[in-house]
Amino acid sequence: MVSEAIFDTINRLLSTHVLESRLINENEVYFCISSSTVKEDCINVYKNIECVLVDLFANDTTPIDNKLTVYYTFAVRSSNTLVTLYSKLENDGSVRIDSIALDVPAASLYEREIHDMYGKDFNGCPDSRELVHHGNFPLNVHPLRKDFKTNKHIPFQQRDLEFATITGKGVFEVPVGPVHAGIIEPGHFRFSVAGEPIINLEAKLYYVHRGLEKLCENQHYMKALLFSERISGDETFTNSLAFCQAIEKLNGITYIPERAAYSRVIFAELERICGHLGDISGLCVDTAYIFPSGQLGMMRRWIQLLNEQLTGSRFLRNTNKPGGLRRDFIRNNEKIILECINKLDKEFKETVSVIKNNGMFIDRVEHTGILENSIAVDLNVVGPAGRASGVKTDVRKEFPYAAYSKLKFNIPEHGNCDVNCRMNVKIEEVMESVNIIKQVLGKMPEEGPVSVDIGNLKPYSYGFGMTESPRGENIHFVMTGENNTIFRYKVRTPSFCNWPALCHAVNTNTLTDFPLINKSFNLSYAGNDL
Amino acid sequence: MYNIVKKMIQHGTVTVEYPKKNTKSTYITGIPEFDYSKCTRCGKCISACPTGAVVTVDKDGEKEKLPAVNADECIFCKFCEEACSNQAVRLSNNFELAQKSRDLLRAAPLYVRDEEISGTDYELIGKKLNEKVGKKFGRSLNIREVDAGSCNGCDYEIQALNGPYNDIERFGIHFVASPRHADMLLVTGCVSRNMEEALVKTYNATPSPKLVVAVGACACSGGLFKDSYAGRNGIDTILPVDVYIPGCPPRPQALIYGILKAIGRL
Repeated sequence: MVSEAIFDTINRLLSTHVLESRLINENEVYFCISSSTVKEDCINVYKNIECVLVDLFANDTTPIDNKLTVYYTFAVRSSNTLVTLYSKLENDGSVRIDSIALDVPAASLYEREIHDMYGKDFNGCPDSRELVHHGNFPLNVHPLRKDFKTNKHIPFQQRDLEFATITGKGVFEVPVGPVHAGIIEPGHFRFSVAGEPIINLEAKLYYVHRGLEKLCENQHYMKALLFSERISGDETFTNSLAFCQAIEKLNGITYIPERAAYSRVIFAELERICGHLGDISGLCVDTAYIFPSGQLGMMRRWIQLLNEQLTGSRFLRNTNKPGGLRRDFIRNNEKIILECINKLDKEFKETVSVIKNNGMFIDRVEHTGILENSIAVDLNVVGPAGRASGVKTDVRKEFPYAAYSKLKFNIPEHGNCDVNCRMNVKIEEVMESVNIIKQVLGKMPEEGPVSVDIGNLKPYSYGFGMTESPRGENIHFVMTGENNTIFRYKVRTPSFCNWPALCHAVNTNTLTDFPLINKSFNLSYAGNDL
Repeated sequence: MYNIVKKMIQHGTVTVEYPKKNTKSTYITGIPEFDYSKCTRCGKCISACPTGAVVTVDKDGEKEKLPAVNADECIFCKFCEEACSNQAVRLSNNFELAQKSRDLLRAAPLYVRDEEISGTDYELIGKKLNEKVGKKFGRSLNIREVDAGSCNGCDYEIQALNGPYNDIERFGIHFVASPRHADMLLVTGCVSRNMEEALVKTYNATPSPKLVVAVGACACSGGLFKDSYAGRNGIDTILPVDVYIPGCPPRPQALIYGILKAIGRL
């Protein structure tokens, strides 16, 4: 086992610093370290093992051991292993740990989130502004602490939001949002511009923060499943799949029926096609190229109609459950899936050739919104945005789930880093998804159950669920409480990783290209804000 | 250019004929309906409901209380259908659920906590305006969409209204970029704490007379995100709402039904 080798390596690397170590759920290794050596150990692992920081979160474990636990999760993508370093801190706030954000840039946002939700400060944090709260939350109230009641009424306060100010001759600020011109979600953008080119962009998000993680606490896992479906509407299936996989993993279920695994692949790919068609259609709208946008909108509707015919929901809601699927949705429907997919395949290829043959369109998207590879690597940019900037990562290959290990497919690779490149990655992924669905329909066993009983959940066990959503790598951490309830549900969607990258990609572009660049990433506000 | 014309001829008009012709399909998920002859009053559906939408009510001529569903809270998760051992509750195909009053959506009367209402006087004004509004907006309507804390499912369905299949412009209705140009606010989400101020400002920026339509279970009642520290239980806790469109998310035809109902064209 590769995970075992990594387990031994890190044990040797950190030697005496490790207070406790465990290898569980086949590919997850956990090391307990002291709070005084957190920074040193994290950087040691980050520098010596080829890995990326994929999650950093806290967990108020007061009911268990009267401590606050902070988890640093690194993914070793080359060998299907998740390395988690965790440290137990005194709950009274007497111990502060050192920030790792200067050495691991991706950590900055996570640290700010922990500060807002738990009141835990990090020494030497390069950015200590509020992230989740908008100056209307009392300073000493922290929602994810266990002594905070979910439905507590909190008085409104008024503090000004801080933005980085850029001064100079001819530099002015353009505030945009939170209510935008299009039919999109709310977020505030503060552009600093000198003439047309953007010098700096700051995005203030969390307008749609609904307290999802807190609402899941102490709820039955089936209710938490409904919450996971509503993290982000257009990623319903992948989010619920990540949650289900985490539950299955922590309860020791290593095998789900083959028919369920293949069905999950079909639904995940249908969702990917649907999402990408919407994205490419949006790009055409933003360049005022209406014909292909109508074409792609029509194809998107074909897929949504297929979704509805299969499951009764246009967004694939009420499809998943821990242990398999709610019902055998594919039975007797293989023919309509194949017909729809073949129709889409032909139409999509023809529409793409129309798009690519329009010089004016290509002129808009080429060399626009360049996200450099070094930035993408530092910020752990995932999904099509990462793949267009040379970060070749895909959970379906590196942490195979459902039936992906039995299927043949390619990961598109591009290195131009611009809007055109991100669009090409998405176009190629749609074609790959069509191939995957065709393969699945050929390989899927004709009979068999679609779910297993997962029984009662083991109390206080934990695990990660990972999926590749249309926007990229999706990681959910679940820790169970007593009586089948959820103790902590931490969601990290790809949007959380990619938002800072967008702010880098727009620099030096003109303000009018922002909608185009934004659409090429097409990040979810709801998935980021939770 | 040749390819574009070819495609246009190939596909022609794809717009569905709703509401001229009814959309009747067996696979549409609508509101749960009860068959009381099969119901054994076991109460499994009530305990299975994650949002508390299934309640017991008095029915005429029945001694016992019977289960019924509050459409404004239902998120169409099918848990009641799966919990019932006698198939007494089934999700129907009825998606035309929009109503002008929240009580018409509910089986049980609404219980509202006093401290959460901050717009009672607005409601009175809204009622008076309502009578005039139907006449004024009957032919053309400009809509501003505001996301106040939804999961973006409702927003994608609203976006689909502009698509080739639903093409809402055939009714003289279009989406505008600013609340200043709008006659109607289409609000989704449960009103998250951080969006509260922006939503009220958007409402105030919209010239009167104006309509507010709550889209989705979250906007109607808070839905699954009810009683959160970070949000309110629906749009009507801060704004007067003219029409409620339940659903999670409501399909585009349900939105068309609700919008046309709001301007008195149905």
